[in-house]
Amino acid sequence: MEKITGAQALMKSLLREGVDTIFGYPGGAIMPVYDALYDYKDSVRHVLVRHEQGAAHAAEGYSRLAGKPGVCMVTSGPGATNLVTGIADAMCDSIPIVCITGQVTGEALGTDAFQEAPIIGIVTPVTKWCYQITNAAEIPHIVAKAFHIATSGRKGPVLIDITKDAQFELCEYDDSIQTVMLKSKHDPYYQKKLKRAAALLNNAKRPYVLFGHGIALSKAESELAQFIEKGGFPAASTLLGLSSLPKSHQLYVGMLGMHGNYGPNKLTNKADVILAIGMRFDDRVTGKISAYAPQAKIIHVDIDYAELDKVIPAEVAIHADAKEFLAQLTPFIKSKNHSAWIGRFRKYDEEERKVVADAELYPKSGEIRMAEVVRLVSEKTKGRAVIVADVGQHQMVAARYYGFETPDSYITSGGLGTMGFALPASVGAKIAGPSREVIAIIGDGSFQMTLQELGTIMQEKLSIKIIILNNRHLGMVRQWQEMFFEERYSFVHMENPNFNKIADAYSIPNELVQDRRTLSPALERMLSAKGSYLLDVMVRRDENVFPMIASGAGVDEIRLT
Amino acid sequence: MKYILNIKSENAPGTLYRIAGLLLRKKINIESLHVKEIDRKHHISHFTIEIFLAPHLMAKLIKQIDRVVEVTHAEYHRAP
Ligand SMILES: Cc1ncc(C[n+]2csc(CCOP(=O)(O)OP(=O)(O)O)c2C)c(N)n1
Repeated sequence: MEKITGAQALMKSLLREGVDTIFGYPGGAIMPVYDALYDYKDSVRHVLVRHEQGAAHAAEGYSRLAGKPGVCMVTSGPGATNLVTGIADAMCDSIPIVCITGQVTGEALGTDAFQEAPIIGIVTPVTKWCYQITNAAEIPHIVAKAFHIATSGRKGPVLIDITKDAQFELCEYDDSIQTVMLKSKHDPYYQKKLKRAAALLNNAKRPYVLFGHGIALSKAESELAQFIEKGGFPAASTLLGLSSLPKSHQLYVGMLGMHGNYGPNKLTNKADVILAIGMRFDDRVTGKISAYAPQAKIIHVDIDYAELDKVIPAEVAIHADAKEFLAQLTPFIKSKNHSAWIGRFRKYDEEERKVVADAELYPKSGEIRMAEVVRLVSEKTKGRAVIVADVGQHQMVAARYYGFETPDSYITSGGLGTMGFALPASVGAKIAGPSREVIAIIGDGSFQMTLQELGTIMQEKLSIKIIILNNRHLGMVRQWQEMFFEERYSFVHMENPNFNKIADAYSIPNELVQDRRTLSPALERMLSAKGSYLLDVMVRRDENVFPMIASGAGVDEIRLT
Repeated sequence: MKYILNIKSENAPGTLYRIAGLLLRKKINIESLHVKEIDRKHHISHFTIEIFLAPHLMAKLIKQIDRVVEVTHAEYHRAP
């Protein structure tokens, strides 16, 4: 067999996995691979990010739209440690990404060599799996294993660390050992539980379906719709479940959790049977656990059996893939209509609309509100854009008011709540979904965490629309200080740069919007622009996001003011 | 409550570190530890770990250990 270098074997292995895009940043310990990459310019698009954290977030955004793992590749030491936030983010949100890091030579390992960081030791707790390659011959098998682990069961990030000498080493490329056996859990009571779940739902007076990211991850959107339509079940979404069911669906009742909708939270404590699928009862969803749905019989379905009975004990706990499970459950569901029960959700909607939404969606005077910006964007894009939101008040407002009509349309950092996520994630999303309108909605604080990725957008000529909802504050923290820390505003005001000049420097067309009358035309210009576009929208500085479940309160203690 | 964990895993570097990490994040101290390869041919190691833990947390912890890719089997029982 002809011998090739480890670096070439890595490229061949990646191509075999169907990789056509890599988000990366070169450096000493990964140079042999970058040299090999030079020969693959035509088959692999390498996107040069401006900071390795951006590579990881871009890989996440890519994965969300491509439905396959995003790949990022960086050098050893600081290159590798810069990835960590993105890896931890992907771990929390079950996003499959494959990270490749260069490493010092095998000889130098453990000697505090130049740019040596023990990256396996650092990322072990925040990866699903990681491995250090020290022999070139291992490469084909380990790459196959990494992709398999990232995408099977509960998805997640994996990392492969490759010593520099293994990248140079000659090896025979043997990809015959491709089979990767992962243990599978077989539940002998599965059929029984399935029927028990169906019976509980069929006999329920006030059934309620809660769905999360698991629906999008298993592509179970149409199975979910068929299931709830047959049973006439009202369904509510977690933050990461958003867009898996169109907001206009007559059985969709809204978002759960701390800044979710009024009815969905209130009525969690009135349902008699709850089916929770592809969600993990995060504390932002449950509020005070002892006060969470004590009256309800809970059926919990998750692909990760470690999530079952972790937070909320379930009457029926089912370890299953959401798509398969729903397809098998629906035939057992009786056609019903729960209109009186659903009417209670609509009543709460009315209240929420009157007390909270109307005023912020359609203000007549005063400073621009975040909500009206999101409403206009939603109307102008007919709910069909991909919204990539950062972390803070603007994230919650985007989640609340964008009218998602199509799946895979809300990309945000849920579990880790990583400020700086949106701009690089939008890079990955646009590359995976070039035909979709990708709109990044970002707070002025979050934008400044990763704004260097404007350089990537410029260089790759990506048509990404960026809206900064600029309140000159770390708004979400400011809100908490106002509500829970006696208005002691401690380091939440931001003296901001001129974002328009920054966009100018990156040759990105841009506008400053300070006045309600100019908002809609500016959004029109942004949306009709061919390439990227940035709008810096000055919004009210002291807005609070409501409804809200204060931390420590129960879901039915959700407040409208 | 004192528990004994019996864990079988691939005999691979980093597995003990990953399991210990799961204990660390809940601030669980390891009271005793024994690791040995029990199956040469299939490279399987056996871990015996003694810990103190509140009973309602034990079932959750063992699932998280069992979820580790390298782990092939994990169970626990009360220490005598
Ligand atoms: C990396 C990181 N650091 C700190 C926080 C804590 N935090 C959560 S929201 C927030 C404020 C976000 O401000 P901005 O991006 O301006 O959005 P706004 O809330 O004003 O809409 C902060 C500091 C975080 N989530 N992530």
